[in-house]
Amino acid sequence: MKYIIKTVLIIILLCGSGYSQVAIIANKSVTIDKIEKSQLMDYYSRDLKFWDNGEPIILFDLKIKNQVREAFYKFLGKSSSRMKSIWMKKMLLGEGDPPEPLESEEAMLKKIITTPGSIGFINPDMVTDEVKPLKIIEDEN
Amino acid sequence: MNHTFNRIIFILIFLVNSICLAQSWSSPLKVFGFFQTSYYQTMHLGGTDDYNTFNTQQLNLFFQKDLTKKWTSFVNFEVLNNFSSSKQWGSLNLEEAWIKYYAGPQFTMRLGLQIPIFNNLNEIKNRTPLLPYIIRPLAYESSFGEFLALEELTPERAFVQTNGFIPISKSKIDYAFYVGNSPNVNDNSFYNQTGVDTTNTLLYGGRIGYRISDLKMGLSATYDKTNAFKYLEPIIEVAEGFLEKVQRTRVGGDLSYDFYSLRFEGEFIMVNYDDDVKELKFDRWFHYYTLGYFIDEEVFLYYSYWLSEEYYNYQNPSSTVLDINNAKVKVIVPTIGLSYHMTERITFKGQFAQVKIRDSQDYKIIGHQPTENTFSLAVSVFF
Repeated sequence: MKYIIKTVLIIILLCGSGYSQVAIIANKSVTIDKIEKSQLMDYYSRDLKFWDNGEPIILFDLKIKNQVREAFYKFLGKSSSRMKSIWMKKMLLGEGDPPEPLESEEAMLKKIITTPGSIGFINPDMVTDEVKPLKIIEDEN
Repeated sequence: MNHTFNRIIFILIFLVNSICLAQSWSSPLKVFGFFQTSYYQTMHLGGTDDYNTFNTQQLNLFFQKDLTKKWTSFVNFEVLNNFSSSKQWGSLNLEEAWIKYYAGPQFTMRLGLQIPIFNNLNEIKNRTPLLPYIIRPLAYESSFGEFLALEELTPERAFVQTNGFIPISKSKIDYAFYVGNSPNVNDNSFYNQTGVDTTNTLLYGGRIGYRISDLKMGLSATYDKTNAFKYLEPIIEVAEGFLEKVQRTRVGGDLSYDFYSLRFEGEFIMVNYDDDVKELKFDRWFHYYTLGYFIDEEVFLYYSYWLSEEYYNYQNPSSTVLDINNAKVKVIVPTIGLSYHMTERITFKGQFAQVKIRDSQDYKIIGHQPTENTFSLAVSVFF
């Protein structure tokens, strides 16, 4: 009985805290093995457009509003509307396109597997050997 | 006959191959743009000539093509104020036509007609989907051109520009340097080719900035020589050609900062003319401050305060009739507004602005301008 109560309490605590994780993943062709927040922000703000090997950085975003996307933007330190205004500014100044928004994390995984130079984010449980994991973000709301 | 046929086939194959090769380097042509349609209700305090109007304020059409991985071309056509060539309304302008070489974040070079980087707003002043304002801060609002010399406050065009940033730890040092025409562009086809600078001077300018996290600031400057005061030579009785090339210096500063849901941005611009004539003074300055709050991710509420001052001072040694003594025209605009991003591509805006114009010489400079209250609504659409 005590064991059941303990388990239920832990589940309630975890649900209540909105604990979520995000994996930053990249195509196998990408030359880096890990990534820092400032680097990720440089890529997603389009300040940096090429990897060190000269390959273009292809960015993906999630269309759906879920915990993974929320945790990703929280890690970047910008709201999604702020990021959208940064992308629109870059686009209207001829500085580059916004990330391609994808319908689901499954679609993002597939795209990253098949697109050289690409980077994106998914739930860590979905990471496979076909992509390169660069960072696990642990977000506790 | 056979020989000629072979030749034609060879040329065709060569041409098709060349086109295919060129296409393999380039991306498809992107066509996109935006427009803003607005409604204004203007009330003149103390006057009777109130008015209201709808206006397709602006439409911009962009063409962009990445020619190679590092070379991009960009063209921007701008259509203003219900443009109609048959009715002679508004105007159609080629705003930008440039090619850019991206060597890396530290070095980008743009060649061709472009809007130079100066303070925070100059480069994006005409990109209405990026701005919460309908009526933009004075120095950037073309409709204030009737009583403010806007082209004096900010550089409007450049032809060569390099810019980039240098990362230092978590911060970045931004830079931009550019060259363009001096303001002495010929408008009269009787004398010379129109649209070109007919003097042997150039505009030089740049911006040095600093960014860290949500803080961004910078200092901008330009230097050129203007012949705008040449008409005053007989009035202030100086030799002909004395005011042919008056040195003009603009200095600007900008600061923007995001703090949770709050955003602050501000700018100042000072324009100074160095003419070696102490009786002649046409200096001007401008500043604006905006404090805004994101009510949620889509709704932005702001208060903004704009101030512009222009000095007019010249004296005739023989007669005081023509003198303008230390006159100052001041334009003050407090404004409040709201923008709502209904979708990524559609933004609704509302704004109230009170425009007060003060002339220290009892309206000798610009005539009587009553204080006006303007309510405006607009929709800005990105396509």
